Amino acid sequence: MITSPRLQIFAAISAIVVGVVGAALIASMFGAAAERILTVFFITLVGVVGIGIYSGNSGILSFGHVAFMGIGAYVSALLTLPAQLKVATLPKLPDWLATTEMGLLPATVIAMGVTALVALLVGAAIGRLEGSAATISTLGLLIIVHGVIIGWRDVTRGAQSFFGVPRETGIWAAVIGVILALVLARLYRDSRSGLRLRAGRENAIAATAVGVNIPRERLISFVLAGAVMALAGALLGHFLGAFSPKKFFFNDTFLLLAMLIVGGMTTITGAVTGAVVITLVTEFLRRLEGGFSIAGFDVPSVFGTTQIGIGLIILYAMFRKADGLAGLKEWEERVFPKRPPSGSAPALQEVHVSDSLTASNMTMQFGGLVAVNDVSLTLTPGEILGLIGPNGSGKTTLLNMLSGVLRPSKGAAIRGQNKLNGVPAHKIVEHGIARTFQNIRLFPDLSVHQNVLVAALSTHGGEDADSRARAALARLNVAQLAGESAGTLSYGDQRRVEIARALACRPSLLFLDEPAAGMNRLETDALMDTLRGLTRDLGIGILLVDHDLTLINQLCDRIIVLNEGRLIAEGTPDDIRQDPAVIEAYLGRGKPGKKTKPKNRDEPGPATELAG
Amino acid sequence: MDLFLQQTVNAFALGGTYALLALGLAVVFSIMGLINFAHGELMTISGYVLMYCGLAGLPFAISVALAISAAVVAAVLMERIAFRPVRNASGATMLVTSFAVAMILQVLFQNLISARSQAVLLPQFLSDSIRFGGLIIGINKIGAIVTTVVMLIFLDWFMKHQKAGIAMRASAEDFSVARLMGIRANTVIAGAFALSGLLAGVAAVLWVSQRASVDPLMGFTPVLKAFIAAILGGLGSLRGAVAGGFLLGAIEIYLAAFLPQELQEFRDPIGLCLVVIVLLFRPNGLIPSAALKAEKV
Repeated sequence: MITSPRLQIFAAISAIVVGVVGAALIASMFGAAAERILTVFFITLVGVVGIGIYSGNSGILSFGHVAFMGIGAYVSALLTLPAQLKVATLPKLPDWLATTEMGLLPATVIAMGVTALVALLVGAAIGRLEGSAATISTLGLLIIVHGVIIGWRDVTRGAQSFFGVPRETGIWAAVIGVILALVLARLYRDSRSGLRLRAGRENAIAATAVGVNIPRERLISFVLAGAVMALAGALLGHFLGAFSPKKFFFNDTFLLLAMLIVGGMTTITGAVTGAVVITLVTEFLRRLEGGFSIAGFDVPSVFGTTQIGIGLIILYAMFRKADGLAGLKEWEERVFPKRPPSGSAPALQEVHVSDSLTASNMTMQFGGLVAVNDVSLTLTPGEILGLIGPNGSGKTTLLNMLSGVLRPSKGAAIRGQNKLNGVPAHKIVEHGIARTFQNIRLFPDLSVHQNVLVAALSTHGGEDADSRARAALARLNVAQLAGESAGTLSYGDQRRVEIARALACRPSLLFLDEPAAGMNRLETDALMDTLRGLTRDLGIGILLVDHDLTLINQLCDRIIVLNEGRLIAEGTPDDIRQDPAVIEAYLGRGKPGKKTKPKNRDEPGPATELAG
Repeated sequence: MDLFLQQTVNAFALGGTYALLALGLAVVFSIMGLINFAHGELMTISGYVLMYCGLAGLPFAISVALAISAAVVAAVLMERIAFRPVRNASGATMLVTSFAVAMILQVLFQNLISARSQAVLLPQFLSDSIRFGGLIIGINKIGAIVTTVVMLIFLDWFMKHQKAGIAMRASAEDFSVARLMGIRANTVIAGAFALSGLLAGVAAVLWVSQRASVDPLMGFTPVLKAFIAAILGGLGSLRGAVAGGFLLGAIEIYLAAFLPQELQEFRDPIGLCLVVIVLLFRPNGLIPSAALKAEKV
């Protein structure tokens, strides 16, 4: 399923087809040399978008995908190589392979399949690594595959040239390949999986909290990218006719990555832009490399002009446009922005779950520090429970344990019949628990609509995702911002979008971590109305952390108070206001010698009784 | 047994060089998140300075000092010219910038010096060897091991007891808080680069003294290995970089020595697969960086 407006996808695909076919027709008018240049460019472009499918959407730079290109080239070439030649040059091939001889199309399809399988195994193995470690591990993949190709002489002719491959890649084969790759990449970017993966790239913790299983989405894109790279490899192998392992090593990796990053890693527009710019510059500089004369002066030939030129272009592009020349949006997203939905928004569904969340004896230790110490609470749908306490009293840590971000050192949380302790973080939301974060965690480069939609798509099997997303946006009064990038919104709007995103998960319990922080009185009042509505109309239970005691007092049915990790009081707002332990925690004990209960200093007094 | 001990000495010599390079990468990475592909070119610059000093007939001690200072100066210049403009950009942007720098430098070496490998004149004593019982150990190997140990002790002292070192460690854990405490970003980053240049320079001297030649791509392979060592140890963690360097050196040397002949061609892939297996059990490396835990939710 595609998550972006049909108009955008339609515009993108038509532009791809028209552009590619048009370029091929123009090149065919200029003769064979131009056709060859364009064919190479198309194959390169397949490679660039192939890497982009993984790196662009996941945010993890991959050096390893050129290895998949190599695998694709060798596998397809082994299948198309004439049987006689195979017997002569590779005498140790197994019989079934030596006698196989097929056309480019079936060979390419098989090569893509085989490569996808390899990518699946590799991706499953290195999928646990994060960030730069993942990047460097893909570097390892490149070296490993290169080493295996060189070492496996019986099949690959080792470091020597693998020759005699039928030159079947003409301009039209490249046209078909590049259209396929570009359309696939474009569709994947806005598919459910692609959108989830991009959300994970922007903020892994928030994406997990709305139900995104990041490792799974990464694996999908890793395999898909591997298959597309195999396509590039098969086309390249059958274009060149002869190649060696060196062709699929660092030089080409750097070139493809440079194109991708200079253009803009996160979009297809960027991949195309980067490939075009760098190819044009390379072709231009290559002509200068042999020396030329200008106004009577002979400029001598300088070896490596091309590399220096590309290097300088990359530096210039990175200094000026760090996100790439094309920026962070597709061209069609700029030209045809998503309009805020018209007509009345659907209403959010009422909650029909009455299971309460019971947490008992929750304890969290960070090294020697006990951040939360033996705290128990219950939260039932339909009520608002306030959680207050001075800074550093363990409120957020408690929320993090209940929402699966942290694994408690001791204690258990139970929802209905289900124990939540062993549940992976991305499955917590399936138990009806959604949350917001103290320091806002939106997906800043995605639109507001996408922020909310990805949450709806990743919960309840994605059922009615669209209407849930619209209803949530409308409920928080941010529907008119649907097309904006979330990162550009004002602080208050970002907070509201975050609540809308949590609501789109159709939770029965909602954890809000300082939702009113940074809001003015007016905004806070509006927020209070909204939150009251959620419990009154929909029956959602809210666990509310805030320092705005007016908000807490007016809104909450019950309040629990933490101090230094311990629960020191629990009760109605009125009880809490009078509770001496709470007053002490917030205001201190008062000066000695004054008439306010001096005995408090000497004896434990009521404060500790309550705490126990 | 003798063979094993002999190879162990080799493993320490090679691992030490990897460790120094990995440390250089880790110092910069831990502070600004840059994976510096041009680190190898610092090595190459050192190598060429050593070569020219040899041709000019300078005493070896002075050549070494000049070679190392050249790497330090080059590292600081590299930061000032190429990396400062992209300092706050994403990791991908910085990485691409660094390989553009590496590419430009390589082409410059090829054009201005020579595309071919050049011999480096080294003092005779480096190629002598000493007997320890049944072991024959090259002076250059001993030199490499001793130098590595001295550098590691120096670095430990520097990071723990020097203001600049402590500032770097603080910046590595949380750069923004460190800046709020009055640590100057420019100074710390320039310092980190200088330190990484120093380490690259020392590694280059050790590397060249065992091979006696230098070419434009000299730094590429060892730095590639150093990347892997840094990941193996835990990216951004200094102790991890050292551990990863020694472990990788050991894996390579022992595989080269003890792998059956017919598998020798697959030595690199096998070695890297071992690294990947270690990483599968410890995804954040042998000694993970402290900054990993610092993210607040």
